[in-house]
Amino acid sequence: MMSYRFVFLCLLGVIVDCGAAGRVGRDLLALYDFKYKSGAVVADRSGVGSPLNLRITNPRAVRRAAGWLELRGETTIRSDKPATKIVKGVQKNGAVTIEAWIKTASLKQSGPARIVTLSKNSNERNFTLGQDGDRFEVRFRTRRTSKNGIPATTSSRRAVVPKLTHVVYTRARSGTARIFVNGRQVAQKNVPDHVRQWDNQYRFALGNELSGGRQWKGTYHLVAIYSRDLSAREVLQNFRAGVSGATETVSVAAKELSAGEKLFEDKVAALISEHCLECHDTATRKGKVDLSRKKTALAHDLIVPGNLKKSLVWELVESDEMPSERPPLKPEEKELLKRWIAGGAQWTGELIDPANYSHSSDAKQLWVQRLTVPEYIETVRATVGVDITKEAKKWLPPDLRADGFSNTAYNLNVDLMHVGAYAKLAGIIVEKMDVQQFTRRFSRSKLLVDKDNRALIENIGKWLLRGPLQEHEIVAYRGIVTTIMASGTSSFEETMGYVIEAMLQSPRFIYRAESQRGDGSVYPANDFELASRLSYIIWGGPPDQELLKTADESSLGDPEILSHQVKRMLQDKRAISRSQQFISEWLNLGRLSNMRPNPRKFPNWSRELGEDMRRETLAFFEDVVWKQKRPLADLLNAKLTYVTPRLARHYGLAYDGKTFGRVDLSKSKSRGGLLTQGSVLTIGGDEASMVTRGLFVMHDLLRGVVKDPPPSVNVAPISTKPGLTQRGVAEGRIKDASCGGCHSKFEPLAFGLEKYDGIGAFHEKDEHGNRLREDGEVLIPGTGKPVAYQNAMQLMDLLAGSDRVKECLTWKLTQFALGRPLTSKDVRAVDNIHQSAQKNGGTYASVITAIVNSDLVQMTRTEKQ
Amino acid sequence: MKNQINRRTALTGLGSAMVGLPFLEEMATAKSTEVPIRAFNVFFGLGIPAPLQTEGFSDVFEPLKPLREKLLIMRNVDHIRADERGINAHFDGASASFTAEGPAGEAKSGGPSIDQVIRRTYHPKGMPAGMVPTLCAGTFFRRSRVSRYVHSYNPDGTVAAMMQEKPRDLFERVFGTIDTGHADARKTRFKRSVLDAMVDQYRFYTGANSPLGSASKARVREHLERIREFEERAYKMKHDAKGGPKLPPRSKLAHGGPADPGGEGIDMRLQDLTEEWRLLADLYALAVQTDRVRFGAITFLAAGERLRITGDYKYEGRLIHRFDDARELNASGSKGCSHEWWHKFHEKKNNKQLRAHAHMKLNEVAYFMKRLDESKEANGKSILENSLLTVSTESGDGRHSDVKRELSGVFHAISGANGRFKTNQIMDVKSEGIDVYNTMLSAMGAKGRLGPKERQHRAVDGIRT
Repeated sequence: MMSYRFVFLCLLGVIVDCGAAGRVGRDLLALYDFKYKSGAVVADRSGVGSPLNLRITNPRAVRRAAGWLELRGETTIRSDKPATKIVKGVQKNGAVTIEAWIKTASLKQSGPARIVTLSKNSNERNFTLGQDGDRFEVRFRTRRTSKNGIPATTSSRRAVVPKLTHVVYTRARSGTARIFVNGRQVAQKNVPDHVRQWDNQYRFALGNELSGGRQWKGTYHLVAIYSRDLSAREVLQNFRAGVSGATETVSVAAKELSAGEKLFEDKVAALISEHCLECHDTATRKGKVDLSRKKTALAHDLIVPGNLKKSLVWELVESDEMPSERPPLKPEEKELLKRWIAGGAQWTGELIDPANYSHSSDAKQLWVQRLTVPEYIETVRATVGVDITKEAKKWLPPDLRADGFSNTAYNLNVDLMHVGAYAKLAGIIVEKMDVQQFTRRFSRSKLLVDKDNRALIENIGKWLLRGPLQEHEIVAYRGIVTTIMASGTSSFEETMGYVIEAMLQSPRFIYRAESQRGDGSVYPANDFELASRLSYIIWGGPPDQELLKTADESSLGDPEILSHQVKRMLQDKRAISRSQQFISEWLNLGRLSNMRPNPRKFPNWSRELGEDMRRETLAFFEDVVWKQKRPLADLLNAKLTYVTPRLARHYGLAYDGKTFGRVDLSKSKSRGGLLTQGSVLTIGGDEASMVTRGLFVMHDLLRGVVKDPPPSVNVAPISTKPGLTQRGVAEGRIKDASCGGCHSKFEPLAFGLEKYDGIGAFHEKDEHGNRLREDGEVLIPGTGKPVAYQNAMQLMDLLAGSDRVKECLTWKLTQFALGRPLTSKDVRAVDNIHQSAQKNGGTYASVITAIVNSDLVQMTRTEKQ
Repeated sequence: MKNQINRRTALTGLGSAMVGLPFLEEMATAKSTEVPIRAFNVFFGLGIPAPLQTEGFSDVFEPLKPLREKLLIMRNVDHIRADERGINAHFDGASASFTAEGPAGEAKSGGPSIDQVIRRTYHPKGMPAGMVPTLCAGTFFRRSRVSRYVHSYNPDGTVAAMMQEKPRDLFERVFGTIDTGHADARKTRFKRSVLDAMVDQYRFYTGANSPLGSASKARVREHLERIREFEERAYKMKHDAKGGPKLPPRSKLAHGGPADPGGEGIDMRLQDLTEEWRLLADLYALAVQTDRVRFGAITFLAAGERLRITGDYKYEGRLIHRFDDARELNASGSKGCSHEWWHKFHEKKNNKQLRAHAHMKLNEVAYFMKRLDESKEANGKSILENSLLTVSTESGDGRHSDVKRELSGVFHAISGANGRFKTNQIMDVKSEGIDVYNTMLSAMGAKGRLGPKERQHRAVDGIRT
């Protein structure tokens, strides 16, 4: 019997925690476990896409119990609709696994008698697993077989026995087909070529051919279809899991929410966050009301589940008394709130975190990711060995930041200049290449005739475009060859040069094109998509040969293989380079080269000093994250840095080195951690604005949310003067009734930085002789009690030890990895990533590993067609 | 005598070429009182089996009947020597047309084509300025080997000119300035080919079968629009003649790679095909009429072409056949293509579909010849009568089972070449193609000969006047 406890744990836990014990879950397309003991329907319980339920055409011919179904008479158990999800799933990967736990009623069944079939009639099929006497026979149609899937793959004699048997057929993209019986391989055959001609109108059936006449009799305990070939180890895993083994779930999205919970998560939490929490969160608690927490919101008759009349919140909202001094809720918003309270006010989690709702609308859209300029440069370098950095930076327009990062997909648009640049760069790249040597990697043949050249194009295309080419792509590239051949004057090298030039401009090179269409649910990313996701997340470049080979073998679904690949990739220096892109983006280090501080105020500033600061942060990051492999949060208080003599002078550090080098800061009382570096301190501008610095800490370290100031407010920086420090200015704002509500949340976060001036130099007094302070309090979002600190170093330790900061780092890195802002829909997955990463040390590598293992990378959200 | 280009011819062109009159008057070859030497090779794919060539003008040859006084139709012309063991007879046969040699590589013929031998005799130092040296054009879809569709070769067997496979390409080559034969122009042309392939892919990602979601598709669509803008700016065509012919409409048919999806064949509406053929024929004829072109080749389908044609084929208002290859063959993919009618040819059967296809192609060839027949030259004869037009094809029988049958009895028809050859008859020449071609070259006063020097040539004097 299925272990519900196990399933529950799996649903709540992270993938890596519920691995080996259960059945393989990844790339499952359909699952029939015959759980229901009656009825004329056999339910598809895979949870993947729209269920492909099966109908028993003659219920009298079957006997059912919970966990099995016995077929005793003439009938078919068939899908009413075409098995499109199976056809598309298999076509996508070019691979399949057909698995069944069965017990035959007789060894005399033949035809073969249909155990599992995806077909039209006795002569036309996509695949069939059948019994022919004491052998299993599988017919699997490819371009090389007949429409009937002949020649078939057959097991050895006596593979079928009248006992409960686990039979599995796997067919890899390469064509290798295997039959396993009770975990052991009993047959292997090559079934080459593609399955693109599969008919997507065929139905899926058990027990008989769709047109009848090939009845199989016996008992089913489980049938499963996967969109990849399970490895021998995975087949054994499923065999060992037994007939009632629980299927792993790789998708946290699989957790089913009740309608009320869904309403809360999808709509109501965002509504409360937007309209109520500005005044009624844990920090502000206006009127001593905290609506951000379940415990306080559902207490004191504020919200009474199921009872609108008694709910004070509803009463005030309905009468427009609340929100106070803000626009009232729209009728449809009121209706939502009403429905939710009346329906029982179901509340998931403990806290409504406004940060989860700061992005809500666009996140539903699936944006294809264009390669950023650094990704383009790296992709060219890795695929054809040409360094195009100089030219790419010259011709390609820079990618603009959106939501804190310049790899945000929705903002990676394309202008005429891009098109011209891609064309020009493609030409330059080919000119720089040794085309002949390059093509020799894929084929020795220099013939441009169809057969040879198609194969060459397919191989080059798979490498350059990060996955197998489709037929229409091959013919497009062949078209170039034939057009040039028809000129009669071109060499092999020149002709193939144009083909490569075209590939370098193709949408599959410029974009990370993935399959985004489906039924609106989530599907596992296919192996090539996953390989690209891994490589661009970890390296910022394309998959290498090993990763591509692993994808080609459909092996990335194997957790061990995936884990091995991720570890290997994290040891590559490209991972360091990618992580430095992250820190550059996160801290907007590119800003340093554009800074022009007031020369009268900062005569020591120079472009070189700005560059020193940028290098400092990158080297510091590499040291902490890669050399010492410390938790990411240690970036806030690690007592070391890297300086040039010029930067050391600027910081007032003793440094003997003549060039760029490491400095131990263990004894320093003013430096240690990112927030004490010029690259971050310059965020505050010439006046070292506490607003800007405080907001940076709030947004980029504490994942806090503060609304923009009202339009009427004068936001021009206030200058200091004798008797008035930046802190004094800030405290004035905090005391102000109209400003203090928000400013009290973030300006104190910068109090500890007051001794650092606008370009990061440390002073005890400001330019007017005012003594500066560094004590203060930190109010972590979501908490109600501020924590005091006495100096900057204590502030750094406080931040480094804060769970909120750690969580924020996970969120930032996840956002960068995915190339899109995170939304409330991602909360569960990111929480899982965070928990998993913290359990493994909270290092960069552990966060990245958790990210690539998460739903957010393993699965693809689809848009309903 | 003023060159008399038929104004209607130039204007109408099946309603799509829309060529302007002032241009024609500027371009007219009125100055010349001599009739120029011209030689063009006209190729059509899949051929006419030898047994069907014995039926006079009553069936397959019917479309040639209106032109019979201006043509010599030759039967029993053999290209057996061009057959290469183990090589597909389609491109052996296609290569042999006009060269009498098999292919000598992927993009080379075993020798020159007759038009180029003649060209080099009369223009050893090149063609006069402003004239396109050689014009190769055609509508074809099977592209795996060059000899399937290119039919004009230099003495060294290389392709004599770049293939113009879209009406716009031909137009630009003849009337535009973009491709002047200069190396940069050649490069430009290749870059355009790259761009075309790219556009097709961007179209795929914005089309109905795109795997992308709507936002992503919109992004790629935006990219595609920018590509088109880029194309417009980078390759904007410049005309060198004010009031010149307008750019023909963009081709509706598949070209380039999509035209030949791995030999599996493509679906084709007869109307679309004939519209493009006629537009191309109009433009080619116009190029000849305006004396921009004197040598070259035009192709009506490649050798071994695979199309699944649908549509009613009518000749002079009479329904010849209702094409629906895939349905009639009850097959899809390559097996559902008209090519199969050649594989199924049997002398003792009716071969209805093959006859209809062959009739239709000869009708289109005849259309082109009629366009050349519409304008008179200084000697009072038409361009068709004054030129050497050699019409041929790839094979006699498509069963690929018998070498002798495969490349024997290949259909040929030639025009009179200003009185050099007999016309108005169907002649059983019973000769090898190489001897027929060398006899033609001799009659044209050409210096070179085809085939190996040591070979004993056998003149086929019967074709000469």
